[in-house]
Amino acid sequence: MEAVRATGIDKRFDSTLALRGVELTLSPGEIRGLLGPNGAGKTTLLQILFGLLRPDAGRVVLLGQEQDWRGTAVLGGVGGFVEEPAFYGYLSARANLELLARLDGGGAGEHEITDALSRVGLAERADTRVGGYSTGMRQRLGIAAALLRRPRLLLLDEPTSGLDPEGARAVARLVRELASDGVAVLLSSHQIGELERICTSYTVLRNGQVVWDGTASALEREAPASAHVLHTSDDGRALELAAGRSELRVEPLDGGGLVLLARTETLDRYVLALAAEEVAVRRLELRVSPLERMFFALTGAGDGHDEPASGEPLSRMLETAR
Amino acid sequence: MTAVAAPSPPRMVTAEDGLAAAYVTELRKLLAQLTTRMLALVALAGPFAFAAVLKIQSGTPSDAVFGAYVHDSGFAISLVILGFAGSWGFPVIAGLIAGDIFAGEDRHGTWKTILTRSATREQLFAGKLFAAGTLVIGISMLLGLASVIAGVVFTGAHGLVDLGGQLISPGRALALTIVSWLYCMIGVLAYTAVAVVFSVATRNGILGVFGPLLVALLTQLLQLIGNGVIVHMLLIGSAFENYFGLFVTHPFLGPMLISIAVCLVWIGVSLALSWRIIRRRDFLARSEQGRTSWVTPIRAVAVTVAIVAVLAVGAGLGPAAVTAYRVSAAMGPEFNNLTLYQQALIGRHAPASARLDVLPNCNRRGGADIGPGDWNCNIYVYLPQPKSVPFQQTSVEYDVSVAADGCYKAQSPPAFLGGPTMAAPDGRHVTNPLFISYGCFNIL
Repeated sequence: MEAVRATGIDKRFDSTLALRGVELTLSPGEIRGLLGPNGAGKTTLLQILFGLLRPDAGRVVLLGQEQDWRGTAVLGGVGGFVEEPAFYGYLSARANLELLARLDGGGAGEHEITDALSRVGLAERADTRVGGYSTGMRQRLGIAAALLRRPRLLLLDEPTSGLDPEGARAVARLVRELASDGVAVLLSSHQIGELERICTSYTVLRNGQVVWDGTASALEREAPASAHVLHTSDDGRALELAAGRSELRVEPLDGGGLVLLARTETLDRYVLALAAEEVAVRRLELRVSPLERMFFALTGAGDGHDEPASGEPLSRMLETAR
Repeated sequence: MTAVAAPSPPRMVTAEDGLAAAYVTELRKLLAQLTTRMLALVALAGPFAFAAVLKIQSGTPSDAVFGAYVHDSGFAISLVILGFAGSWGFPVIAGLIAGDIFAGEDRHGTWKTILTRSATREQLFAGKLFAAGTLVIGISMLLGLASVIAGVVFTGAHGLVDLGGQLISPGRALALTIVSWLYCMIGVLAYTAVAVVFSVATRNGILGVFGPLLVALLTQLLQLIGNGVIVHMLLIGSAFENYFGLFVTHPFLGPMLISIAVCLVWIGVSLALSWRIIRRRDFLARSEQGRTSWVTPIRAVAVTVAIVAVLAVGAGLGPAAVTAYRVSAAMGPEFNNLTLYQQALIGRHAPASARLDVLPNCNRRGGADIGPGDWNCNIYVYLPQPKSVPFQQTSVEYDVSVAADGCYKAQSPPAFLGGPTMAAPDGRHVTNPLFISYGCFNIL
């Protein structure tokens, strides 16, 4: 049984068509990244999945049960949040979770709430009023609130927004662990690098339409060449070796090193060739990933990430990357 | 963040569980708010402060019905507080508790938080209503209970002069006071429903809080215009006056029953409209909501004003509520009863069947003898004479302020019947019942 099957979703706000014929499926254990520039319709789609918005057309089936938007509940087993999680500022984190757990039926026990707060690193601030929380802490509390629902489907909108790098990594770890236990996860994020580390599939939206949908490996195959920065023991020799390879573009960087534009398999062959010529690879950095190149190519959002025209310096890509 | 265990099966929620959970959740949220706690504190302590102030001063809030008797009966204190609460206190309580219960979710951005749990919109809506109703009624009844206790503690559980001029026993006064407070709860619920519809329709907590006050204010203004009984009976505010019909010699229940029906209609319409809005509403993310708009609140106020304007135009519809006949018919027997009571206070006990021959003649000042406002009543008293002249006629003049609900305050210049207090045989100063009196007649 699919965790999500959304078909033909249309949604209009006044004169703006926010979603048009959106199709989305998600299987148990799958971590799907929902990508798109601002205004692409990601949050609108998540709200429709949660039943907060009524679509103008289409149907949504979550965990085998159809949404009917007649004031019915979010299905059991669906958790997550849309935008920044919101709580009652005059209550503590623990009291907020107690109230939300009660709405889930009977209320989770104190142990379960304490455990959820510990998982997101808020145990020590559990009895502090949420009104004094930072954005990152509210984000963590949102994840704790989602976990209390014992989800089989997790819908997360920008879950790492406002978190420090360690917090973001912890969320990624948590998501992977949940997915390994069969939880289906739909993640919306602007931080493509983070999605790349955890997602097994992607859906890319542009102007309310799905412009790409598939697995991470399919994206890898279809994506344009990625950009790397290479430091070797002999950059001049490395440049000479690249000269005869039509599928590889290499240019020197001002401060030393080379910038390469190549697909993964081409890059592999080039690195092996360098080794054969006794040119040591001292550092190889991915600067513009296939997902980023694909995202910007599909959405037209990344000025400077398009492949530079012949004669145009590759370093222009690096200036705008990440 | 630490590792997670394998997910357990999600909880299943029945409809009953969902409603109970929503109710308890909303109740706990309201109880955690400073506003609720402050209201409860004021409801508890306010009557004691009021009674204490009355105790240390000689003046009385005589413009309020029963106000002249606050030094004689603790129940008068409770009824004066009930009168004030009916005008302003209950709308404030309803507004502060229920006016923000829906709009507060918009302000905190928490609709998406609670709607993505396992409670349905119906359950959340009903839970909020029940929670708000529970606390509004709870705090209102706390005010009532505190007012009775404060009155009894500071003034005493003495009998009360009713609105027919008769002294009723402490037990009956207590029973009528309790019934009056209980009866007013239907009006309190109507104000609560008004607060809810303002809160839901405008998504603005300020308008939700002030909505019932706006309706209360407009109600009072409407009661000043027009002579017809129909519009008057359609106002929520009437529910806070019609219990006076219990305090007359021959109680009348018609206006009370009509007010109950009217309040139920207000509640039904307000809640049906609120649910319709909630059920059809899209709960947008903040990024999609755009700037806060005052269009909806302004529209809501405009609709309210338009309704009131229509009611104002129709204020003259139906038979006249206040007529010279009704005022006179009420004043005469009451004067008779009060005179006998006054005589008893100064030690002259008349037989139970004793009565005066009185002929009241009431006229409205500055206009036709119809409608609420300032009236003048001359009560001609015919005293039996033992010799050739069968009767001696004397007259007493009262300034009577008559309200649209048929209740009045009558005050006689001290030259006629003495001042506000008089000396009892034991030397105590007691309230002169003929100086200021209150009465009510049936306007139907």
